[in-house]
Amino acid sequence: MPPFQSNKNILSLTEDLLVRIYEILVSESDRKSFRLACREFLRIDSLTRKHLRILRIEFLPVLLHKYPRLQSLDLSACPRIEDGVVSLLLSQVGPASNSLRFGNWTRGLKSLVLSRATGLRFSGLEMLARACPCLESVDVSYCCGFGDREAAALSFAVGLRELNMDKCLGLTDVGLAKIAVGCLKLEKLSLKWCMEITDLGVDLLCKKCVDLKFLDVSYLKVTNESLHSIASLLKLEALGLMACPLIDDVGLQFIERGCPLLKAIDVSRCQGLSSSGLMFVVRGHGNLLELNAGYCLSELSTALLHQIKNLKHLEVIRIDGARIPESSFQVISANCKSLVEIGVSKCVGVTNMGLMRLVSGCINLRVLNLTCCHSITDAAISAIANSCRNLVCLKLESCNMITEKGLCQLGSFCLLLEEIDLTDCCGVNDKGLEYLSRCSELSCLKLGLCSNISDKGLSYISSNCKKIHELDLYRCTGIGDDGLDSLSSGCKELKKLNLSYCNEVSDRGLGYIGRLEELCDLEMRALNKITGVGLESVAAGCKRLADLDLKHCEKVDDLGFWALAYYSRNLRQINLSYCAISDMALCLVMGNLTRLQEAKLVHLCNVTVEGFELALRACCIRIKKVKLLATLRFMLSAEILETLHARGCIIRWD
Amino acid sequence: MLSDNRIKAPVQDGVVNQLVQASKVQDWDPSAMLDNLSFLEQKIHQLQDLVHLIIGRKGQVLGRPDELVVQQQQLVTADLTSIIVQLISTAGSLLPSGKHTLPAATPSLEQSGQFGGVVFPSAQGPLNDGFQPQNAGGSKVSGLPNSVDISRKNGNEQNHIIEEHELKDEEDVEEGESLIPGTYEILQLEKEEILAPHTHFCTICGKGFKRDANLRMHMRGHGDEYKTPGALAKPNKESGSEPTIIKRYSCPYTGCKRNKDHKKFQPLKTILCVKNHYKRTHCDKSYICSRCNTKKFSVIADLKTHEKHCGKDKWLCSCGTTFSRKDKLFGHIALFQGHTPAIPLEEAKAPAGPSDQGDGNQSTNKVGSMNFNFSSNVSSESEVQSSTDIKGSIDDPAGYFSPLSFDTCNFGGFHEFPRPPFDDSESSLAFLLSGSCNYPQKSED
Repeated sequence: MPPFQSNKNILSLTEDLLVRIYEILVSESDRKSFRLACREFLRIDSLTRKHLRILRIEFLPVLLHKYPRLQSLDLSACPRIEDGVVSLLLSQVGPASNSLRFGNWTRGLKSLVLSRATGLRFSGLEMLARACPCLESVDVSYCCGFGDREAAALSFAVGLRELNMDKCLGLTDVGLAKIAVGCLKLEKLSLKWCMEITDLGVDLLCKKCVDLKFLDVSYLKVTNESLHSIASLLKLEALGLMACPLIDDVGLQFIERGCPLLKAIDVSRCQGLSSSGLMFVVRGHGNLLELNAGYCLSELSTALLHQIKNLKHLEVIRIDGARIPESSFQVISANCKSLVEIGVSKCVGVTNMGLMRLVSGCINLRVLNLTCCHSITDAAISAIANSCRNLVCLKLESCNMITEKGLCQLGSFCLLLEEIDLTDCCGVNDKGLEYLSRCSELSCLKLGLCSNISDKGLSYISSNCKKIHELDLYRCTGIGDDGLDSLSSGCKELKKLNLSYCNEVSDRGLGYIGRLEELCDLEMRALNKITGVGLESVAAGCKRLADLDLKHCEKVDDLGFWALAYYSRNLRQINLSYCAISDMALCLVMGNLTRLQEAKLVHLCNVTVEGFELALRACCIRIKKVKLLATLRFMLSAEILETLHARGCIIRWD
Repeated sequence: MLSDNRIKAPVQDGVVNQLVQASKVQDWDPSAMLDNLSFLEQKIHQLQDLVHLIIGRKGQVLGRPDELVVQQQQLVTADLTSIIVQLISTAGSLLPSGKHTLPAATPSLEQSGQFGGVVFPSAQGPLNDGFQPQNAGGSKVSGLPNSVDISRKNGNEQNHIIEEHELKDEEDVEEGESLIPGTYEILQLEKEEILAPHTHFCTICGKGFKRDANLRMHMRGHGDEYKTPGALAKPNKESGSEPTIIKRYSCPYTGCKRNKDHKKFQPLKTILCVKNHYKRTHCDKSYICSRCNTKKFSVIADLKTHEKHCGKDKWLCSCGTTFSRKDKLFGHIALFQGHTPAIPLEEAKAPAGPSDQGDGNQSTNKVGSMNFNFSSNVSSESEVQSSTDIKGSIDDPAGYFSPLSFDTCNFGGFHEFPRPPFDDSESSLAFLLSGSCNYPQKSED
């Protein structure tokens, strides 16, 4: 480097260059390091930050103040968002406030994620919708209490283009009509599980929101009438009809003649459909890119196949659960050259020969789901590996005949492999993992029920697959503390780990787990060697831990739970069923963990009714879902139950 | 009394017919038939004498209503109907053999003529030509035993002629069903009969019944011959004694599209259709809904149907228009830019959370009680109804209660009709009503 440049420090870069650098950083932890580097970087961060996902409502006013250019706000992880908070935010940091230097935080806001915001109601929603003039996208999925009032509130966001209302159980045709009339620019709408919606509502929607490009009416009790209305949408590109029990082939006939731009259709689990219905769709839409017909066909008929082969651009096809004649693979392979993803899980008739023919033509395959195709062997895997060098995701659950040879081929040729599911493949052993570890891009590895692997195999993976985010070792009884040692030193990016029923794991192993700073989801059911010490090291080490399952960890004592209550402040879900937790510790856990949203608390033999009462009182303002023994229903006070209900908390009585 | 003469002619004519037919058909017992016919002849002669007697006396006490005359009149009617019934059953004994020709014969006029002397008024068979007008009357009676009243009450000759004429000239095919005119028989009940409480009459004592089954049960009291399984069975299941002739009905109201004189005549399918049509179109709407006080009906079943939904399903648009049905509201919204469905206000009042339900219940209870108050006016309401009812049937005081009893709800039961418990049970669904009541408040925000 020339000397004059080395004199200059990085701060001499102009602001726009710094912004560019900042924008290259994708991972949240990298951005965190960036903004912690110096004040200038922090300033860059706050000036350029467009997306904010907050975990604690108490920081929201400060953060909104700090990030004036926010375009997207995610409050889905924030348990305590409610109408009062919204009105406070709007008045304090809103247009009425003089303290705000950068102006109104709502002015530029385009996207609002309020998924599972059960504390929020229509008045808060209405305030938000009215305050954000540029709002384009709202997600209120899984707000089970939402209904027509909330929909009416949302309809004030006239510029809305995307709306997700999955599982807003109270939504009826009336609310949908409000949205259809209010938000005429709507392009994307998801209504999964909004069970009250009928043909009338869908019909009105299709008449008013003619710009719809994406519509999901999965699980609704709509009939062919709705499909008739939907067929009139000229811009529709993707249609989700998963598990609509009342639609049949006649309805798909409407789709054949309508929706000229349709690119993707999902009719999986539609009980009323047959292959002739699918033939209508395929015949009408030669440019279809995605066809999901999982579990709706009993057999891939030759007539349908004859139609499918005209889909020259087809990229994704899923026909899970169907019987597939071996010759079909040849036809697909010869005609659908652009296929990127094939799903044939649980299909009858998937053979080595069939797969070999398939991959001989479809060399661009990136995703292949062969779950429960029991008859395939290493020969098929070898053919796949040799032909599909771009394979990213391979699902082989329950393919028992696969051995190290197949994995060797994958390790040699599929170097881009990111995800592989080998659950219940008893042929997988340490040697196989050694071969597989050559796939250094691997980020998700599922080895559940692979009882033939040991710490040695895991060490190969740990040392070579540094990018692993998710590892499933469910019932891998050969895995012990040493394996976790190598794992914690190799896979530093591990976010999700399942150690359930790995009986050999002890407190020492959990000590290693505590080194995984990124870990946020840990399942360790029935580890009967671990005690409070092990839990303490996990709680103290894994600061990001959000989801913890301790069911049947019966030796863990209060020491561990105290540590949990003290350290794991980011915990959102916990399963403490069958644990030996005491009244005191339970109250502490439930009261201290201010982000806790879901708790499963059944069969806690050391906890009294008073203990439950106090624990629930301690968390009632933020908990959203709690599982309790049914007997408690009549023992807990009516007040606490009412309060929980009022806060939108769902109690599941076991 | 004129009608009595009228009726006899077709009866005799029918006998002639039978005889004509008899020569052609082999599968029946001629001696039994002869017995029957001679018995009938006897009966008819008796009747003739009686009528002569009446005519004679009428000349003496002209214009004075005499109880004796009425009694005799009833007697004549009873005798006549019994003759007709026996005629039918006698003719019926011919039918099994005649059945073969029936389906094939229907479209062809000539063939049907042989048979149609009895049943096809439109027939122009050579045998019946001279008797046609009377034939029509005869066929009418035979086709519909309970329509004896037609001839009993008024002179029908005019009708018969019109009917004949009508059937011959009719060219318009009915819209609803594509029955070729002439292939079906047109019957016309008189106004009094339409509004009469009963449709089935005992041929012996004249007692009226709402259901034929009840009449058959009643008939058992008149002798052992009515106790046979054949007599008790449904008439149309009897071995073809009731020919499968398509019957259609005409409304007696001149100028009505359902009247056979109308150019685009559309016949009515059943007697019930006639009754409902006549009441709905040509009678006063004397039943007023006790809830909304606006909707009026002439058929009590219509009122009941309306009351089930009245006030309950108020589908409300943001423009203030209300709809009884959701699809109508949605059609309206689809049509008009910017209109949206209004959401009932209770939800808005209720605070977030569980109390939603509690409050919802409370408010619906309130509504329920409100409805209750509403319907407590009913007693006065029903008075109004009955007074209008009188007006409606003023020209037929005898049939004053009849429309009520026809709808299986006699006057005694009328009081229980707008019963408060009914409202109570509906209260859980009545929230929409109060929502619509509160609508103006809602539109303010």
